[in-house]
Amino acid sequence: MKRLLYLLSLILIILSCRKEDVYELNEVHASSYNANKNKLKSSNQFISILYANLFQEALSANELFEISRCIQSIGDKEVAHEIVFSNFMNKNGVIIPSDSVMRDDLDAFIEETYKRFFVRDITEAEREFFISFFESHPYVSAEMVYMAFAMSNEYQYY
Amino acid sequence: MKRREFLKKTAIGGAALSVPFILPSGRLFASSGSRMANHVVFVAFAGGVRQQESVLQQYLDGSQDYPSAGNIMYNLLDGAAPTDKLVYGTNNENNENIPIPKLLSQTLQQQGTLFKEVNASTVGHYAGVNTLLTGNYMYSQGLRAKPLMPTIFEYLRRHTGEKATKCWFVGNGIGNSIPLLDYSEHDNYGSQYGANFLAPTITFGDDGEKHLKNAKIYHPDDELDPMYKMKYFLDNVWYSQGNALPTIGNTVEEKAEIKQFVKDMFVKKENGTIAFPPSASNNDGQTIGYACEVMKRFKPTLTVVYLSNVDGCHANFTSYLQSLHSADHAVGHLWDYIQNNIPEMSGNTSIVVAPEHGRNLESNNIKDANAFYGYDHSDSNARRIFNLMAGPGIDSNLTIGSETNGVGDIVNITPTIAEILGFKQEVINSGFVYNNNSFFDLI
Repeated sequence: MKRLLYLLSLILIILSCRKEDVYELNEVHASSYNANKNKLKSSNQFISILYANLFQEALSANELFEISRCIQSIGDKEVAHEIVFSNFMNKNGVIIPSDSVMRDDLDAFIEETYKRFFVRDITEAEREFFISFFESHPYVSAEMVYMAFAMSNEYQYY
Repeated sequence: MKRREFLKKTAIGGAALSVPFILPSGRLFASSGSRMANHVVFVAFAGGVRQQESVLQQYLDGSQDYPSAGNIMYNLLDGAAPTDKLVYGTNNENNENIPIPKLLSQTLQQQGTLFKEVNASTVGHYAGVNTLLTGNYMYSQGLRAKPLMPTIFEYLRRHTGEKATKCWFVGNGIGNSIPLLDYSEHDNYGSQYGANFLAPTITFGDDGEKHLKNAKIYHPDDELDPMYKMKYFLDNVWYSQGNALPTIGNTVEEKAEIKQFVKDMFVKKENGTIAFPPSASNNDGQTIGYACEVMKRFKPTLTVVYLSNVDGCHANFTSYLQSLHSADHAVGHLWDYIQNNIPEMSGNTSIVVAPEHGRNLESNNIKDANAFYGYDHSDSNARRIFNLMAGPGIDSNLTIGSETNGVGDIVNITPTIAEILGFKQEVINSGFVYNNNSFFDLI
């Protein structure tokens, strides 16, 4: 009887040993929430980065110097930046999605815009806001979105 | 009532009375004084002006050992012009110098009060203009750094609740750290009470033509409104983790007004209708022209205009004399323009004119084309300036002090402007000015 019990226990132990599934986490590379931006861009940095974001090419040293002087000549920097931005938008060569391309895939557009201007991933709350904003404001253009990003405080920091 | 209860109620009542009121304008207290005028224009007649060529009217006699004396600032000061060896004014077809005709029928000296001999203890441009605007000598103030003490702009806006577009600082360029003087980094004041700075010779000069002129004016409702809504969302998200940006607090409407002003100035420039002085050949004259346009558009409570072309004196005494003469003409035009072209400010504006420091008694060794020696600013003669003011409530035809009897100090200017605009007591109460006296207290 003892032997029988021993054998039964052994069989039960062997049967209970099953290979478990192993769950692992895939590593995802995501920028931190504000991408650790804590330094204010200088006037020159702001202009050259803005130009590169809009035209996807570098601004010449001469133009950088001239635009920097223009910005210094106006005390309210928000006003100065708005004027410089809108002046850029009147030039040829700005690389900006058309409004139809933007409206075709709002999700991709806003994700790309966050990466382009803020160099970080969009959060779900931000995505929610913008998608709903675009849907409730059908005439908002890509240019207006770019302007809002370029004028935002986060864009002033790196 | 028991003594303890009485003391308790008195303390509560007193505390209630002393709690600041938040007025609709956002300011803490109503200003306590009454205004002598609703507008002040302060011309920082800067760049370093020698007493000898200004109030002392010595012309070449006091500088080049050439016996020709006289007044080359005849819009500001009383006195006959020199008659010999004229090197200032405009050139005629025979390449002769023709003095610019007098603009004002009455000099500012006749219309107001001249403090003939005033002390200015700092002899650097930035430190001097800093003192003009703060009423304080900041001996530890560094260059390329914002003022350590509150500026007159901040006193005005904080204590009277003025909007940003009612407060302008128009400079003749962006050198000498001048753009930094629109507000201080003082904890109790700062950017939210700052002035709108403008250096029009840059904004509307070659650089501006190239990079600002072609700016779009977005539609306020269809384009700017949604744009600002998105920006505010982005800023709100950012504020939860990031730093706030310094802003001088122009409202959306004020910003739109400034952008429209910039746009309009390019059109006016193209049409040749900017309110330049009749003879506006240099930066100072151009700056005064645009300052007139700023005043016509915004009717500021306080406008500070910074001139500095006379600083050429280091190496070119002839150009210094020309610039001094032109600056006098430009200031005369400014005053005339206010009286005749801006009805809202006419008869209701005071003007204050003062250099930030003087220049040396002895020349340096640099000769110009006329073999005139230049003058730097480092000795005790460079501490000598004048102060001229005119407008409602200011005594006319009054001269205070003399070469041997100095009255007044550069630090009296901030309290003077504050007194004209009715908030001198608040400035004094702040405890940040070097001297509580205005020039009115010294009469």
